Amino acid sequence: MAPQLSWYLALSAVLFTIGVVGVLIKRNVISMFMCIELMLNAVNLTFVAFSSFFRDVTGQLFVFIVMTVAAAEAAVGLGIIIAIFRSRESLDVDEASTLKF
Amino acid sequence: MVVQRNPLYGAISLIGVFISLSCLYVTLAAPFIAAVQVIVYAGAIMVLVVFVIMLLNVEDEERQPLRLRALVPIAIGLAAILFAEAAFIIFFVHTSSGTPTTNISDVGLTSSIGAGLFTTYLLPFEITSILLLMAVVGAMTLARRGGLLPRNAVVVPGFQILAKEVLDPRSTPDLTPVVARSTAEVEQSSGLAGSRHADDE
Repeated sequence: MAPQLSWYLALSAVLFTIGVVGVLIKRNVISMFMCIELMLNAVNLTFVAFSSFFRDVTGQLFVFIVMTVAAAEAAVGLGIIIAIFRSRESLDVDEASTLKF
Repeated sequence: MVVQRNPLYGAISLIGVFISLSCLYVTLAAPFIAAVQVIVYAGAIMVLVVFVIMLLNVEDEERQPLRLRALVPIAIGLAAILFAEAAFIIFFVHTSSGTPTTNISDVGLTSSIGAGLFTTYLLPFEITSILLLMAVVGAMTLARRGGLLPRNAVVVPGFQILAKEVLDPRSTPDLTPVVARSTAEVEQSSGLAGSRHADDE
């Protein structure tokens, strides 16, 4: 039985839901960051599945750009995490609820 | 990954998820995206994350009491509604599924992606490069420790001005700035003249 398009979409939905749940329930900012990466990957899987089933290369180009944005987000986000850790000595997001330094 | 208490275990399992997704991309006839997935995500981004976890010496999360306990029945009800909708769609909506790719096509190969990137989608590609440059500058600005000048230094263009306590820690109460036009004058005024040459020998 050949894989259907809906299977990939269901897997993508499951991955995205895991990412959303992780962002909501985790208190460690690095874990929340990794859950955001998981959500981006779920969307990437959707793009590649549609691109492959519709024989259109546009989806894979979009995946390429999403990966670039994810790399930029990783660099800036980890810089922010290091800055927060320097000023507060903690990675708990509840303690970093104010934007003041 | 979500249930791990230690972020390092979560990161390692996330690398496993990325590699599995890369295998799925191969089965979807997208070898370029699969390679980029392994190189960029599992190679670059997760190495950065693991590096930060190791650098910051993250401890395990302690189990904290659940807040907003009154909302738990409402959450269970909403989740039941969501699952009912999903089951309705799965079992009752007739799906007109697309045909899987069986014959050979060049969609997903590196050449077709490159041709698309450099012809139709040239502008987003260039904007991506600007975005990466901004990310590099922003990350360096955020991760740098402190500023270039001390708080009590006064900046005047054309002059080299340093606070006295930077040059001589013993004169900490004396915050009058030292004005000098060259390194030699700074050494003269701070009493450091000749010490550098002594260090060299």
